[in-house]
Amino acid sequence: MKALGKLRIAFTVITIIYILIPLLVVIPASFTSANYPSFPPQGFSMQWYTKILERPEFMTALANSAKFALIAAFFSVLFGTLGALAIAKYDIPGKAFITALLTSPLSVPQLVLGVALLIYFTPLMLAGTGMGFLIAHIIICIPYVIRLVLTGLSGFDYNLERAAAILGASPATVFWKVTLPLIRPAIISGGLFAFLTSFDNVTVSLFMVSPDMRTLPIEIFSHMQDAYDPLVASISSVVIFISIILIVILEKLQGVGKMFGGTH
Amino acid sequence: MESIRQHAHQEIIPNPSLKQEPTRKKVQKKKKAYLPGFLLLLPILLFLFGFFVIPMLYILYLSFIYTDSPGAANAAFSLQNYMLFFTDSYYLSSLWLTVKVSLYTVLVSLLLGYPVALTMAKSSPRVRGYIALLIAAPLLVSIVVRNFGWYLLLLPNGTINSILTSLGLIDTPLKLLFSEVGVVIGLSNAYLPFMVLAIATSLYNIDPSLDRAAAILGASPLHSFFRVTLPLSLPGIVSGCVLVFSMSMSAYVTPALMGGANVPMMPIVAYDQINNLLRWTFGSALSYVLLATTMVIVTVFTRGFEKSKFKEAFK
Repeated sequence: MKALGKLRIAFTVITIIYILIPLLVVIPASFTSANYPSFPPQGFSMQWYTKILERPEFMTALANSAKFALIAAFFSVLFGTLGALAIAKYDIPGKAFITALLTSPLSVPQLVLGVALLIYFTPLMLAGTGMGFLIAHIIICIPYVIRLVLTGLSGFDYNLERAAAILGASPATVFWKVTLPLIRPAIISGGLFAFLTSFDNVTVSLFMVSPDMRTLPIEIFSHMQDAYDPLVASISSVVIFISIILIVILEKLQGVGKMFGGTH
Repeated sequence: MESIRQHAHQEIIPNPSLKQEPTRKKVQKKKKAYLPGFLLLLPILLFLFGFFVIPMLYILYLSFIYTDSPGAANAAFSLQNYMLFFTDSYYLSSLWLTVKVSLYTVLVSLLLGYPVALTMAKSSPRVRGYIALLIAAPLLVSIVVRNFGWYLLLLPNGTINSILTSLGLIDTPLKLLFSEVGVVIGLSNAYLPFMVLAIATSLYNIDPSLDRAAAILGASPLHSFFRVTLPLSLPGIVSGCVLVFSMSMSAYVTPALMGGANVPMMPIVAYDQINNLLRWTFGSALSYVLLATTMVIVTVFTRGFEKSKFKEAFK
């Protein structure tokens, strides 16, 4: 009996290591002093971090990624929060259908979405533009915002809104002073999640980028296919650091496991 | 202030005037309730219709248009694209390869994921939270970065091959990368968290007294696992498998990096047709073949379980 439990825990540990290991080896590898990345690294040096600064394409790509992810997060939070409020608060016919529609970009493979948008955007002159890229990213971020804000609203006590209205607050005041502060954690989580989704995306982005407008994951992707140097390790570590910071905030706000439909 | 108080009053005690003309008032009230909701939904609905629903329908339409060359004028409605797909053994074997790799990925994720879900279900909420964080956090790091980690481990001169060689277990490095094995490793690594969380969710819903009842009735822990816990967690297993399978079928980045030209799965072929060969109508057909195949397999699989002898677990 005890042995079975121990076996289960051993398997659990092995699986968790299996899930984490590709990330755990990247950071040490980035400090190598050799000309090729390896784990364990050869010697120690920071040269591959200073070399990032000498490569303008990586710096531009990083700036692009951050900029687009920020704008995409803003618009998906704006559209998504309004939509989620409408679904949660108002009596709308076809509510189930609308909710399904708003989260449906999640169930369409990103590859197919990329194909569809590239073909659709080309005659509209949106292919390969920043605008087209943003539209694509807002689409893939919206379902997450909808889900997170709807979850945030599920425990919402509408009596608080009614109480404020009875006490004389205008609808706008009720929204800014009562509704918004109460669902703010859900909105912030939705925004951070959307930011990371956009910041990390490769598949849809591959169809939307152009030679003079590339993002960091795309730059890493093409680097891995052509060259294999420790620069990829250091730039990947930068991505990991950025992700860790946002993951810590998300964990404090919402619980990362919960966002993927896991824990109670 | 007075009017507000009156308004509040009305909500509790029905206004007698309502009774006199109930139909008109009722209709008016309903209209008023619909409008703000629709106004809030308008931006997101317009956005998704214009940039999601219409493009998806547009490529469905395009998949039935056959052209010899991109942008040719002799476009006509036909099944030619689909005929081309189903008569060419290259495309058919690509589809089969995609299904095969996805099934392996599901199997690996299920075998590795179940013990974690079980441990989560048997732990305190605190430990549960930590495990969920550890397994879900990598999902928030770009897939290219995770694949790069696998490069370090799996390349011919990578960590695993070096260890095996220095131990004297192998003479020539194993071909772990740029092979089907590599793709299954990459995909199962990426999608395992979804499997774990899906199974864990269904395990949480199992009444713990059932296990105790089985033990009291003399079942060994192993016996009660196979006869009680496992069947009751089938809904989670099924939804986890469906999730991992669908995501594996349409994954592009991991097959491209971990398999490359050696593992030409459907997404690789479709990407090539669209982005390099500019064969849009055929590429559209490929996309829908991929979607339809995934849907059919998922539906058959799910229905099969829901009608099996374990159907009670799905209610």
